[in-house]
Amino acid sequence: MDVEKLRAILAVLQGTEVTRLDWTNGQERLTLRMGHPPAPVTALHAVPAAAPTALSTPPQVTPVAPASPAAAAARDDSFTVNSPFVGTFYRAASPDNPAFVEVGQVVKKGQVLCIVEAMKLMNEIEAEQPGRLLEALIQNGSPVEYGEPLFRFEPV
Amino acid sequence: MFHKILIANRAEIALRIIRAARELGIQTVAVHSTADANSLHVKFADESLCIGPPPSKESYLNIPAILSAAEVSGADAIHPGYGFLSENAEFAEMVQHAGLGWIGPRPEMIRMMGNKVRAKEAMREAGLPQLPGSDGVVRDDRDLVRLAEKVGFPVILKAAAGGGGRGMKIVREKDQLAQMYRTASAEALAAFGNGDMYVERYVERPRHIEIQIVADEHGDVVHFGERECSVQRRHQKMLEESPSPALNEKLRERMGRVAVEAMKKVRYNNVGTIEFLLDERGEFFFMEMNTRIQVEHPVTESVTGIDLLKEQIRLAAGEELGRTQKSIALRGHAIELRINAEDPITFAPSPGLITAYHAPGGLGVRVDSIAHEQYRVLPFYDSMVAKMIVTADSRPAAIMRARRALQEYVVEGIKTNIPFHKRLLLFEPFVQGRYDTRTVERLLAETSPPAGG
Repeated sequence: MDVEKLRAILAVLQGTEVTRLDWTNGQERLTLRMGHPPAPVTALHAVPAAAPTALSTPPQVTPVAPASPAAAAARDDSFTVNSPFVGTFYRAASPDNPAFVEVGQVVKKGQVLCIVEAMKLMNEIEAEQPGRLLEALIQNGSPVEYGEPLFRFEPV
Repeated sequence: MFHKILIANRAEIALRIIRAARELGIQTVAVHSTADANSLHVKFADESLCIGPPPSKESYLNIPAILSAAEVSGADAIHPGYGFLSENAEFAEMVQHAGLGWIGPRPEMIRMMGNKVRAKEAMREAGLPQLPGSDGVVRDDRDLVRLAEKVGFPVILKAAAGGGGRGMKIVREKDQLAQMYRTASAEALAAFGNGDMYVERYVERPRHIEIQIVADEHGDVVHFGERECSVQRRHQKMLEESPSPALNEKLRERMGRVAVEAMKKVRYNNVGTIEFLLDERGEFFFMEMNTRIQVEHPVTESVTGIDLLKEQIRLAAGEELGRTQKSIALRGHAIELRINAEDPITFAPSPGLITAYHAPGGLGVRVDSIAHEQYRVLPFYDSMVAKMIVTADSRPAAIMRARRALQEYVVEGIKTNIPFHKRLLLFEPFVQGRYDTRTVERLLAETSPPAGG
C-alpha cells in the first residue's frame, strides 16, 4: 500500500458515516478508524494476519515517583508520555513545520504531541490527558525505544 | 560480511549469537521486552532497544517493532535464533524486502519445510526414505487390510484430524485390524468430527536421530554428523548427544550421504537439521526438517570443533563453504543436558528468583546460559535456564563427566530438573546406550526419585 492509495481511501471516507474500515489484500492489512476525536490512522504494511496491530497502541502514561524524600517535599505530580513503540522521534510534522508542542504550552486531551516513525509510517502520538509541557526529553530525530519517556507534563 | 546484526531473540541463544558475532568483528543489537531489560544478552550486546511489553506476541514476535528497531539501529542483518520468528517465512521475506540480510535459509525453504505434507512430498522426491504408510485416507476395511500388509505389522492407525496422541491405535495382528479400525474411526469422529484414518508402520522403539546440514549460497552442502535426541518427554528433548550410540560408521555415512544429496537437490542454503526416525532394524525415515539453528547445536560444535553460529553468519553473508565432507570428523563424545526451571518430579514450571547460582566448570564442561544469582526466571518465556555440555574422549567418560559436573551445579530459589538428570545418567538403558524415545517414560515409571531429591 502506498501513500497515494491510502490518501485516496481516506478521501473517499471523508464525510461518510463510516467509523471503521478493515481491509485485507493478500499479505497487506489496513485498519482505519474514523470519527471524533480523530483516532490515529494505523496502517500495517505486509504483515501476516497473525501479527498484532502493534501500531495502534496508545501512548503510555506513567506517574513519576519522587526521586528522593527531598524532592517529595516539593510537590511533584508530573507525569511522562512514553513511546508506544520503537521508532524515530519527531517533534514536528516536517523539518519546515513548528514543533507540535513547546515547553510551557498547555495541551488538551487528544492533541498531537509528536510523531514516532516506525517502518516508514508516521504515527501521531496524542495526549491521553491534558497538561502543561515541562520538558521534552528526546532530541528531534533520535531513535526511541518502547516505553521510553518522551515528554514530562504537569497536570492543569 | 555484515557490519551490524540485530538479534531477534532473547536469553542464551541471543548471548550465543553475540559471542559468535563479536569473534567475527560484527556489532550486535539486542532487542528486548521490558521484562528482559537487565538480561545478560542486553548487557553484552553493543546496543539494545526495548521493543515491547513482556508477552512475546507484543515484543519478540512483534514484526513491525523488530523491523523498526533494525532501521533505527542501522543493522544490516537479522539473526532470528530458534523459536519465536525463526521459522516464519513471511518475516524472513520482510527482512529481505527491507534490504537486510536474513541469517537463515531462504523463505521458500522455510515455507516448504514448515508444511509437513509438502515437506514429506519434497523430501520423498529428493530421495529421503519415508515411513511406509497409506499415502491417503483409508477407504474401507478391505483397503485397510491391503495397506497394512503392504506397510508391514505392527501398524498404527492415526486420525487424519488428530494430534497429541489422540485417535491413535496400534494394531499388531491382521485379525484385529477391522475391529480396531472401526473403534478408532468412531473415536476420531466423536473427538474431531472427522472419522478419516490413515495407516503407518508402527516402530516399537523409535530413536530420534538428526543430521546437521551446513550449506552455502552456491550449492555446496556438507553434513556435520548426527545428534541423538531420543531422551524426550512429551516430545520435549531433555538430553542430546553426538555421536549416537545407535549408529555405526556405515549407517552414519549412509544417513549423511542421502541427507546431503536431498539438500543439494532442493538447493538448500544456510544451516538446518533433518530429523529421522531410526527403527530397531537400522532403517531410517524422514520425519521433518528444522530450518534454523537448533538448541542442541553445541554437541555438534564440541565433536567437530567448528563454531556453527559463526559458520551460519558467514554463509548468510555469501561466503563459500570451503569445506569438504572428508574434512569433517567427529572426535570424542559430547552430551548436552537442558537445565529447566521445573519440578523434577511433576515437570511443572518453576519460575522465580535464583537466590544462589554456581555453574560447573573444569575440562570439557561448557555452560550456555544467561542465569546468575538474582536472575529472575520469567513466567512469560520458556523454562530453559541453561544448557550444560560435556565433552570427553568416549561416551562412558562423557557420562562420568556429566555426573561430576552436575554435582557442582548449584541453583537455589527455583526448582530445576537437575535431580532428574542425575537419575537419568545412572539409568542402565541410558548408560548402555540402548534407549529410545520412550525410555524417559520407563525411567519415570520404574525408578523412584532418591529421598530428599
